[in-house]
Amino acid sequence: MGTDSAASIDGAPRASAVSVLGKNWALFFLLASVAVFSVTGSNFFTLANLQTILYSATVYLLLASAETFVIITGGIDLSVGYVKGLSSVVGAVVMRNLWYVQYGIQWPPAAAVAAGILVALLVSLACGLASGLLVSRYRVPPFIATLGVLGVAYGVTLHASDGGFPIGFLPPGLREVGNGFVYYHNPVTGLSRFFGPPEGTLDTQVRGLIRVFPNSLILVILFLLVLWYLLKHTRFGHHTYAIGGSMDAAVRAGINTRGHLLLIYVLSASLAGLAGVVDVFQTGTGNFTPMGANFELFAIAAVIIGGASLMGGKGRILASAVGVLLLQVLDNGLNLSGVESFYRYIATGVILIVAVVVDQLFPDLF
Amino acid sequence: MKQQRGLVSLLSEYWAVAFLGVELVVFSILGAGFFSLNGLQIVLFYGTSLFLLATAETFVIVTGGVDLSVGYVMGFATIVSAKLVAAFARGGMAPTAAILVGILLTLLIGLGPGLLSGFLVGRLKVPPFLATFSTGGIVYGSSLLLIGGVAAKEVPILANEIGNSYLLYWARGRGLSLFLAPEVARGTRVVEIVPSMVVVTLLFVAAAAFVLKRSRFGQHAYAIGGNVDAAVRAGIDTKSHLLRIYMISSLFASLSGVIYMLEYVTGKADAGVSYLLDSIVAVVIGGASLYGGAGTVWGTVLGCLILSVLETGLRMSGVQTFDKFIAVGVILIFAVLIDQFFPELVHKED
Repeated sequence: MGTDSAASIDGAPRASAVSVLGKNWALFFLLASVAVFSVTGSNFFTLANLQTILYSATVYLLLASAETFVIITGGIDLSVGYVKGLSSVVGAVVMRNLWYVQYGIQWPPAAAVAAGILVALLVSLACGLASGLLVSRYRVPPFIATLGVLGVAYGVTLHASDGGFPIGFLPPGLREVGNGFVYYHNPVTGLSRFFGPPEGTLDTQVRGLIRVFPNSLILVILFLLVLWYLLKHTRFGHHTYAIGGSMDAAVRAGINTRGHLLLIYVLSASLAGLAGVVDVFQTGTGNFTPMGANFELFAIAAVIIGGASLMGGKGRILASAVGVLLLQVLDNGLNLSGVESFYRYIATGVILIVAVVVDQLFPDLF
Repeated sequence: MKQQRGLVSLLSEYWAVAFLGVELVVFSILGAGFFSLNGLQIVLFYGTSLFLLATAETFVIVTGGVDLSVGYVMGFATIVSAKLVAAFARGGMAPTAAILVGILLTLLIGLGPGLLSGFLVGRLKVPPFLATFSTGGIVYGSSLLLIGGVAAKEVPILANEIGNSYLLYWARGRGLSLFLAPEVARGTRVVEIVPSMVVVTLLFVAAAAFVLKRSRFGQHAYAIGGNVDAAVRAGIDTKSHLLRIYMISSLFASLSGVIYMLEYVTGKADAGVSYLLDSIVAVVIGGASLYGGAGTVWGTVLGCLILSVLETGLRMSGVQTFDKFIAVGVILIFAVLIDQFFPELVHKED
């Protein structure tokens, strides 16, 4: 901000170039890595692989959006990964129990799935209420409040999944939706169809189908746009920045900070819950989050890479999305270039530290 | 009126002890074999990791920080020590020397993560939870990289013998023997008293307690946690002090990993991840404040005992142990709430 106004007053083009570069370094880094991996990785720059990157980024995009709101208020949510696991498992259990023969209820698949989604989202919302109340009303430090909720969510998840087994026997069609594409084209027969392989596609031709635009991307784009609008163009968003910028000033400006913070944590947990539902659709099973899965590490790192400050008051949804894509591209590209995937944790940790240190030392750069 | 207040403060001061007592009584009734020499030794044996990690966490929390990397550092140390010991043994070293050198090197390497976190927190003023969180990610990745999908092989069998030995053995007609199990005829009962690793753990915990309570180093830690500005003005070099605090934390986490390696003769990247929450909760139960400036190692030990007894007791009573996570999360929240609203109730002036 400061650099921006200084640049416009001086009219010095160099300062503004630095500031543009600094603000969008993640985007440039992303483009550069895509360029590099297109050369080093076999099959990196192909339609199928680029869509795979977007597809596997779905859950992280939702988690990072959740984290963005919390971080802008100057807080942190360490529970997102485990709330996602809770939602995935609980949603799957409800779907299974309402549908599968053995449980004797046998609702129609669509009804069972709808009920599962609803319960999954409600459970996540409850997690958000808990951490939101602790942070806003009882002034518990956010990382402790969400760490406590993490423990409870993890325990309940293990309970519901009998100690961490994937929940199977779910209604049919989940994966067709979650793993499906908007447009299919069969190069052999020359036929095309929306939302499914064209008629007359033989089993042997399935691998050769050209698939365009994963379904889960529609959902993500929709949510990113809504959240971007919410943060940038509504009073809710402005208040979020105000609280993160200065809590005291926000209180004096008449913002209901308690209610607002509560909503922020509820929103964060609900988005994490949505990520869990997406996970059920993508894998066809309910998956618990094991300790050490580090979803929150990647989500927080993406937000910080996107230029948010842990001190609060800064952060953009679309920049966080760039952060997620950067991490995904690094992961995917390193893999295809023959580098072991373990570097993902190391790279993420290092990038996170560098981003925070730079933010600390040169707050005006971003 | 006055007596009533005395009762409340007495209860608040000793609630953890009372809670531990209640746990012991309940599980002695519910859990078959809980209240026996073996049952109680199992509590301590499985508690060693937690004792050391929570001790590590105590140092950091007293300064007003938190260390989210302890579990990953522990896992890292299990792998590094297992690999090193196996490599030295394969290189022709005597098993004893291989184990000793391997462990010492591991502890040295184990200072690394603390160096990084401490530098970030002390010099660059990165918030502790974020610094240690990133360090944890890096350490975890390094662990996975080192292990490459394969656990360390050919760790000398001596490691297993050390890790699972007892301080004292007693057999009928043989009397007591130290460290080495007496050779007896098959079927003769040998009473095993106090696992050696528990003894080692307690020695280190006692040393930590002494350093934190009696040394100038410990006093400065409390001073920093109480009020950093005041500590700076009092002439304390807070930057290097914080660096050393995080290195101690890292050292104790590595020690925990080394002991795990001796007990299970293997290295696992996620050996310690499930202890992270427990270690913080144990410290908080022990009366430390997450705002810094309060907390003792002995309080932490009490917190660890409560959690270890809870876990082992639940397991012996046939309850699913994952209910423990729910309990731990709830305890953490309540402990912080009490700390928030009745600080004078929990923390007595030292």
